[in-house]
Amino acid sequence: MITLPEMRDLARRLLHCEANAGNTSEPVESATLRVYEKLRGNLCVLVGVAGFQALASRALTLARSEVPGLCAVQVAADGRLQGISEIVPPMKLDENWIDKEGVIFISSLLGLLLMFLGKALTMNLVLNVWPDVAFDDGNPRDGRKT
Amino acid sequence: MNTQDKVTINKLPTGVPGLDEIVGGGLPEFSFNIIAGAPGSGKTTLAHQFVFANATPERPALYFTVLGESALKMLRYQQQYTFFDPAKLPDSIRFINLSQVVLEKDLGAVLDEITKEVEKTDPAVVVVDSFRTMVRKPQSDMDMQSFIQRLALFLASWQATTFLIGEYAEEELRDNPIFTVADGLFWLRQTAERNSIVRKLQIIKLRGQDSVPGLHTFRITDAGVQAFSRTFGLTARVKNPVGQRRLSFGVPELDKMLDGGVREGDSVLVAGSSGTGKSVLATQFIAEGICQGEPGIVAVFEERPQAYAERAVSLGLDLETPQNDGKLTILYLRPLDLSVDETMHSILDAVQKIGARRLVIDSLAGFEMALSPGFRADFRESLYRMIFALTGIGVTILSTVEVDESFTEFPFSTYSISFLCDDIIRLRYVSIDDQLRKIMVVIKMRGGNHAKDIREYEITSNGVVIVDQRLTGYQGLISGLPVRSNQSAQEERSSHDSEIKNQT
Repeated sequence: MITLPEMRDLARRLLHCEANAGNTSEPVESATLRVYEKLRGNLCVLVGVAGFQALASRALTLARSEVPGLCAVQVAADGRLQGISEIVPPMKLDENWIDKEGVIFISSLLGLLLMFLGKALTMNLVLNVWPDVAFDDGNPRDGRKT
Repeated sequence: MNTQDKVTINKLPTGVPGLDEIVGGGLPEFSFNIIAGAPGSGKTTLAHQFVFANATPERPALYFTVLGESALKMLRYQQQYTFFDPAKLPDSIRFINLSQVVLEKDLGAVLDEITKEVEKTDPAVVVVDSFRTMVRKPQSDMDMQSFIQRLALFLASWQATTFLIGEYAEEELRDNPIFTVADGLFWLRQTAERNSIVRKLQIIKLRGQDSVPGLHTFRITDAGVQAFSRTFGLTARVKNPVGQRRLSFGVPELDKMLDGGVREGDSVLVAGSSGTGKSVLATQFIAEGICQGEPGIVAVFEERPQAYAERAVSLGLDLETPQNDGKLTILYLRPLDLSVDETMHSILDAVQKIGARRLVIDSLAGFEMALSPGFRADFRESLYRMIFALTGIGVTILSTVEVDESFTEFPFSTYSISFLCDDIIRLRYVSIDDQLRKIMVVIKMRGGNHAKDIREYEITSNGVVIVDQRLTGYQGLISGLPVRSNQSAQEERSSHDSEIKNQT
């Protein structure tokens, strides 16, 4: 499955968001891992650890078809990502730099959510974690109804 | 104790059309409820409707999913219902998966997890779905009973209205301590009746509420669960006073036979065999009502509204204009798997919507056929409830019924429902002078002095027209095979003799 351009764009934005947020004195880790961990935290609450682990494994498998380099990455039983640091370099100070592997993997995960839950719920979920993330579709940042 | 000193229990909307009426006006706030039933009976959907109807960002709902249906798929399917508002997630409705805790730890840990989330969120509504999957873990009865007891106490103290959802079989209802703790017990059933599925809901208990007893039909549509109260929701409806007026049929001679017309609020049965003009008479009744400013409903089961209206045109009656003006509704009730309660709901809603004063059910045979086979056995009882409910709100009902034409008997109705009707008009064929003609007679009129005459009528382009002269000189007209009476025959013979004399 090729990741959707819409999800690739969203993934890129999330990675940028985390790359910027990580541009501090915090321990250096990849933006991909930070995005993934935030998604994991929220999705585990929603679907359980086993549910998230299954979803992430599927996303990884789908992403590998586009980025074979992800073959070294694994999803552990508790849903944590293993081996990503080896292929995705830690955040660089240049905030415009985003790794391709990360974009494809995160967009693959978001694509699965989109497929299962639809756009409204997926976007709500993303906005819940990244309330300030900007979208290209002209919607306000917090597009949720009140 | 003074009434003012008693605590007032707030009633929360269930979010399920028809269910508020059944539970006595709404679900008691802070109650601890169990929704039980077999898989596929609509438990989760019902709980979702309640959650979406009551959750707010200030007082959100916590929806704990345990083992069983995955939350991802549950959300995938539930969002297909129209009540599902994605914008309510996650601010107003939060889904929390407890499967890991349930699998790896004991009930105490589950309770701790629920407690932690409730204290953090301060929810108005808590749902545990499916709570039964926790029960199936090897635990002692005491453990589970203790867990439920503590959970109920905790959630009530935290002012949360709670639903536990569980798959239970009917036989588990007895002697189950879990059900003792619950304030409310909702049982959903789904049974196959020949080729139809019948869904029924029972409020087995609901503390502090005057719920409607018995089994209530419900349906699951794209709008979710919709319940149909056995009392047809009439307690929530505005009563229309029954007047003392006589309602015209639009057939002057028939009005005379009825001592001025049908008494308002009566149930009238028009019985006759095929082709005797039952539907024609019914159409004239409804059209005359519209002319008199009385909106009407026609419930048809055997033909579609368009065809019904077109047939009226051939009688010189315009049913299109009043439909467009909101004075008439022709209801076509989807055949084959209806429940009476569901049908009634449609009719009552239509009555309420246009303020109908007249209702035609054309025909009872079609109505029965439209019902799910499981409901046909109760048709008579259901009909009684329906007629009682409708005439109680001042609607005058005309039902048509087809009876087998026998030339030796004169049955009023094959349904033995004549006791449900205030007035009965019988139409039938009769063989006279080598012609198949039609006669009409008012069999019964409760509280009225109706004509005893047997009148001949014709169906013309103006509808049913009663022939001026009443039929005299025949015996056994209602048998369908009359003979000339002796007097009449003698008169005829003497007339014939004098004619011959005159000729000679």
